[in-house]
Amino acid sequence: MKNRIKVYRAMRDLTQEALAQELKVTRQTILAIEKGKYDPSLELAFKIARFFGVSIEDIFLYE
Amino acid sequence: MKQNTFYLLAGITGLVEVGLFWLSVDLHNPLIITAGFIMGVGLLYVARLMITDVAEDERSRLITQKAGFRTLEVFWVIFFAVSLGTAVIGFSTPLGIPRPRGFPREFPRDQPYLGYFGILQMVLLCCIAFLYIAFRVYYARKYGEWDTDEE
Repeated sequence: MKNRIKVYRAMRDLTQEALAQELKVTRQTILAIEKGKYDPSLELAFKIARFFGVSIEDIFLYE
Repeated sequence: MKQNTFYLLAGITGLVEVGLFWLSVDLHNPLIITAGFIMGVGLLYVARLMITDVAEDERSRLITQKAGFRTLEVFWVIFFAVSLGTAVIGFSTPLGIPRPRGFPREFPRDQPYLGYFGILQMVLLCCIAFLYIAFRVYYARKYGEWDTDEE
């Protein structure tokens, strides 16, 4: 599964650490998701989408 | 509680357990180390909950769960196989079943052989601990635990 978290993060000028703190996860988790090494739970996916104010499909692309 | 404090507490608990073990041996009372070990592990479980400087999230929990599950998958097979082998030794002589080739000629009835089985179990448990660490490292690498930052 691909995702565009890095793009949205760049648009908001957010570091991985800052995003991780907002979502109450570790920075390594954000890094792992961005690199496609870890697929987040549905709950975390919703949190990410809501944080950026978009739908889940805008961020996560199922291949 | 900081994680280093927890490690210190774990070390002290380990030393106390060693002392309790030899006290049990000295007094010929296995209940001392059995109860002491359960209380020691219970103390460490409670102390682990009080660690505040280590962040845990769903990815780290997944790594722990997967490593634990894989370890259990291997562990029960090895443990059951060894137990079956021990049962064969136990049953072979009294029931008159011919002893398999290569087995000890005399079953050590005059010695505390159940204690030897306990030592074998502890060796197996130590191996399992190393196996868990190996699985933990594998899944941590798989889920990007030590990846470098691209920022």
